[in-house]
Amino acid sequence: MKYFIYQLRKHPLAIVGIVVILLWIFAAAFGPSMLNYTYTQLDSDHQMARPGENGHILGTDSLGRDILSRIVVGSRSILTVALFTSIVSTLIGILIGFSAGYFGGLTDTIFLRAMDILMAIPPLVLSMVVLGILGDSTIFSLTLIVSIAFVPATARVSRGVLLTEKSQEYVSAARIRGESHFYIMFVEILPNTTGPIIVEATARFAYSIMMVASLGFLGVGLQPPTPDWGMMVIENKPIIAQAPWTVLFPALAIASLVIAISIFSDFVSKVLVHER
Amino acid sequence: MKDNILDIQNLNIRFSTFDGLFTAVNDVSFSLGYDESIGIIGESGCGKSTLSYSVMKYLPSNAQVDGKVIFKGDDLLQKSDKEMEAVRGNRIAMVFQNPYSSLNPAHTIGFQLDEVGIHHQKLSKADARKASLEALELMNLGDVKAIVNRYPHQISGGIQQRVCIAMALLCKPDLMILDEPTTALDVTTEAVILDSIKALRDKLHMSLIYISHDMGVINKVAEQIIVMYNGEIVEKGPKQEIFNHPTHPYTRALINCMPRKGVVKENTKLNSIKGYVKKRGASEKGCPFADRCEKKNDTCEQLYRMREVGPDHIAACDRAYATDIPDKVVKPVKKVKKTVEEVQDEEKEIISLDSLTKVYGTRKKVYAVNGIDVSVQSGSVLGIVGESGCGKSTTGHMVSGLYKPTAGKIIFNGKDISLTWKKRDKETLKDIQLIFQNPGRSLNPSHTVQQIIDRPMKKLGMESDKNKRKKIIIDMLKKVDLGKEYLTKKPRQLSGGEQQRVAIARALTIHPQLVVCDEPTSALDVSVQASVLNLLNELQIESHAAYMFISHDLNVINYLSDNIMVMYAGKIAEYGTRDEVMAPPYHPYTEALLSAVPEVDPTKRNVAIELEGNLPNPSKKITGCPFAGRCHKQVGPICEQQAPPLVQVSPTHYYYCHISAMDV
Amino acid sequence: MNNFIQIIIRKVGSLLATLLVMSFIIFMLVEIMPGDVAQMILGQSATEESVAALRESRGLNDPVLVRYGRWVVNVIQGDLGESIYMQGVTINSILWRRVGHSLILAFAAFILFVPLSIFFGVLAGVKEKTVTDSIISFFGLATMALPEFVSGVFLISIFAVQMKVFPIVSVIPIGESLFENLDIVILPALSITFVMFGYISRMQRSSMIIVMNSDYIRAATLKGMPRRYVIFRHALKNALLPTITIIGMNMGWLFGGLIVVETLFGFPGMGSLLMTAIKTRDVPLIEACVLLITVIYSVSTMITDLLYSYLNPRVRFAGGQR
Repeated sequence: MKYFIYQLRKHPLAIVGIVVILLWIFAAAFGPSMLNYTYTQLDSDHQMARPGENGHILGTDSLGRDILSRIVVGSRSILTVALFTSIVSTLIGILIGFSAGYFGGLTDTIFLRAMDILMAIPPLVLSMVVLGILGDSTIFSLTLIVSIAFVPATARVSRGVLLTEKSQEYVSAARIRGESHFYIMFVEILPNTTGPIIVEATARFAYSIMMVASLGFLGVGLQPPTPDWGMMVIENKPIIAQAPWTVLFPALAIASLVIAISIFSDFVSKVLVHER
Repeated sequence: MKDNILDIQNLNIRFSTFDGLFTAVNDVSFSLGYDESIGIIGESGCGKSTLSYSVMKYLPSNAQVDGKVIFKGDDLLQKSDKEMEAVRGNRIAMVFQNPYSSLNPAHTIGFQLDEVGIHHQKLSKADARKASLEALELMNLGDVKAIVNRYPHQISGGIQQRVCIAMALLCKPDLMILDEPTTALDVTTEAVILDSIKALRDKLHMSLIYISHDMGVINKVAEQIIVMYNGEIVEKGPKQEIFNHPTHPYTRALINCMPRKGVVKENTKLNSIKGYVKKRGASEKGCPFADRCEKKNDTCEQLYRMREVGPDHIAACDRAYATDIPDKVVKPVKKVKKTVEEVQDEEKEIISLDSLTKVYGTRKKVYAVNGIDVSVQSGSVLGIVGESGCGKSTTGHMVSGLYKPTAGKIIFNGKDISLTWKKRDKETLKDIQLIFQNPGRSLNPSHTVQQIIDRPMKKLGMESDKNKRKKIIIDMLKKVDLGKEYLTKKPRQLSGGEQQRVAIARALTIHPQLVVCDEPTSALDVSVQASVLNLLNELQIESHAAYMFISHDLNVINYLSDNIMVMYAGKIAEYGTRDEVMAPPYHPYTEALLSAVPEVDPTKRNVAIELEGNLPNPSKKITGCPFAGRCHKQVGPICEQQAPPLVQVSPTHYYYCHISAMDV
Repeated sequence: MNNFIQIIIRKVGSLLATLLVMSFIIFMLVEIMPGDVAQMILGQSATEESVAALRESRGLNDPVLVRYGRWVVNVIQGDLGESIYMQGVTINSILWRRVGHSLILAFAAFILFVPLSIFFGVLAGVKEKTVTDSIISFFGLATMALPEFVSGVFLISIFAVQMKVFPIVSVIPIGESLFENLDIVILPALSITFVMFGYISRMQRSSMIIVMNSDYIRAATLKGMPRRYVIFRHALKNALLPTITIIGMNMGWLFGGLIVVETLFGFPGMGSLLMTAIKTRDVPLIEACVLLITVIYSVSTMITDLLYSYLNPRVRFAGGQR
């Protein structure tokens, strides 16, 4: 803990990142109840209202919907999906990557081939096509598909981490006292890999936000009326010249969250991996 | 005052880190004359490398330096980086410990040699290449024209290091600094390099700073010796003086704690230094060795300073005068008288290997072990010695069940156990234990000492009651000189020596019948190595377990073994009792190995037999004698064509060679 | 060199295998898409008989594997089929022009971000722990996971809305080609550059730092080689090698990014075509687009792999004398 505070003092930027993340979590949890407008409410007298007009702090869109409340409510879905995605993809990654790396041989070869194939199609293209084909995305399908698209990356990281540990002699020591594979993988090796795995999971969190926002932008994310940051951008893009705030504020929301998480994950990696 | 090439005056180097400021080099002064060679000796972390980098003015940015480094009249510490470029590699050249990583993998050897001449002497490309070839020839490198076109990964470690030395020679420097240049190499390769360094000095008359942790190596190359401990010079003087009248307790310990010729377990307990080198804060003053010194007394701190103890011989210890306190008498540990059963027991073969063979890989084969027949009597120590790649570790790992033999059998207590751990029964797993080379990696970093020692007991069904196990663990920790407070510590919090003690405790708490020790001391400092060897010896006598002790260090093997097996390229070269192997007649390889071991006694001068060439390609099956290509006693083509016959010298001593015992 | 030829053969082999499996997966994916193709072609008002007739004539009643086989054979012969949504239009006639546009956009982004990220990554690595390094590192961190449409929106607001130097949308007037309207490429290319810069410059920085701290750089410095020379001749060659692989791996993000920016700018490329195909559920067009992206992506990864092996003497002259 003392070391953590020492690190925080050394990296003041990390404090900014953490504060921004906490603000967004707070906004997602309590924001909607604190606002004047609901996210579906149409203020038909104030379409494309400028920021500040008629109590619309960030203005309204072409239908007169309050931008701020749409952004605040939109933060819920993106945070939920991205959080679950990074957790699920990391867990699946550990399971697959560990098994492949640990057993080696044929298992590993099959794994590598499968990952090569899955990686032959860019993750965004893969999720976009699958979600587009399935239609009507839900939080569940979105989380599932994006997680699968990320598995090649997370599994590769887990496999790499496991391979470094596997060459350590404490693994040999466990083997020659007859420990089971399960014990060696999860009691002996796993505790020593938490650093790199947490780093990967936090970085994955940032990429999940990026991916989910992009999918929403492409129209295959969560469906209306649920507000989605990415979708807000593409919906209002045609009026960017007349009402730039309708596009800029959702974009800023995404940028602030993504950058804050990137800073945080960079800090985590400095604390957990590099400076030990 | 004589003319010196290098004068270091009151040099202090401190590093600022997360834990505060600590001292790397403290108030160091010495000078080096023209055509003189000085050896700096000390354990890892004692500041000898930092000292040598300061001569090059190459220190990390968190270093604070004061003092003077005067080289041919100029203070190098006052020079700018730009000015230093003209000195580095030109007037002062340096050779590093690890030749492989010191050569750029992306450029050919020739490129890396030529650039030195091109930069410092403004040679044309063609002239630079000519100079490079000449330098390589100085190092007796054979086909030098082929070597310059190779990339570093295409040549062996010994040749890489000789290339590095040739690189340092290119500008005929006034001073050459060698930082543990042979530590990463095999002993026979080391011998070749040490001899060529000596030859070069005779030819080129340059001054030399040679850094090493090995007294024997220093003995071979240096005239003056500096002993460093924790950033300070503790003793300095001519070689003969230091070896004959070591004054500082640390110097004495260093000389006495190394296993050496004629020192065996029956007659000597190795001298050891308690504790380990601790980082020193910048504010700490006084004798740096005080916390480990056995002869410390109340006046130590008061009287601590450098004093002259002989001609040109100074030491930083009060003990230099107070010689009234004698060195601790080293008493051999007597073997306990054996009961009749035990004597009978000793006759029993506990394990025997029957043409044990291991071939790695399926497509590209590596013949690691090629038919080993040997057995170990219960309660005895078999030492397996050989250079890297000779298959000694693979043999040990097959015995302990990490690998399955490709062919041959391992018979343990009459049972065939040539299987991997997966298929061995609990009893066998318990009875054969393995101690690894690197304790930092063989102990799980996220488990506590208690968990580490506890697990084999629980897993292998020795004791089911947790509290009883805890008691056993505490008893065992005491035996390996560790207190109860270590139970909750994690390996990272322990020093290397302490880690290895925990590993030994883990192996021995479950009363194995055979312990395979795979280079258990080679990752440790010399002073720590001695205490671990003593411990292993005591526990062996007490537990009456048999050891299969694997090491590349003949002195260590000689100290601890009852029987010795010399391996070369996956085969037995020679086998016999310790005294038989260490005395003629030898297998030519044993002879070369013995001659290559650096002596700690300055009066004795052994001339190393130089082995040229490389180990045989391990991916080819050898039909003749594996040593044929490098053997200095090769009798003819028969050596390469026919497998050497077994020469039985005595019932317990044999070797494989075309030369009979008489002729050797 | 034999070694290298072996590597090439192996890579091409695995590429073909990957493509075969991938094409099967794509085909099966589209297969599970809800809706009847024949119905879609004829519209909601079509009679059941005519739908059945069309199914028969197009072979839609054949088993999946037969249809897959037929599709693969056609694709190998260069026939990607007809679009459903734009009836009577062969995919070949619309796709290739779009692919060309996308490749130009990708190329424009590529020549922007590769030198930029390498230059700044190396600079930050050489000047580790200085202000220069902090600024570059922060910028990299900020853009590393920034979606392309977000950076795109910022760029539009500044350069199109405020300064009006570039168009808000990237449309090619009818009858003209992309080459006459190159200004529409700039903003989309810049948007992609951001995210690629973030990741690659950070990777370049860390590989530079590793190399600069290596024993052979220390050895070269202590041989008295000038710092500049050490950086350019000794460090760079080693520090750039891993970057090649990193760039190859990131081509996937680049293609994902293409779809996003093409959608944002309405750029007439393959990405926006795929978007339209998905929205209109144009099965053959989806298949064709995804297959093509896979091919381009796999080939570019393979090229970077080969380049890496070729430039790395340890791979090129594996084995050697040891």
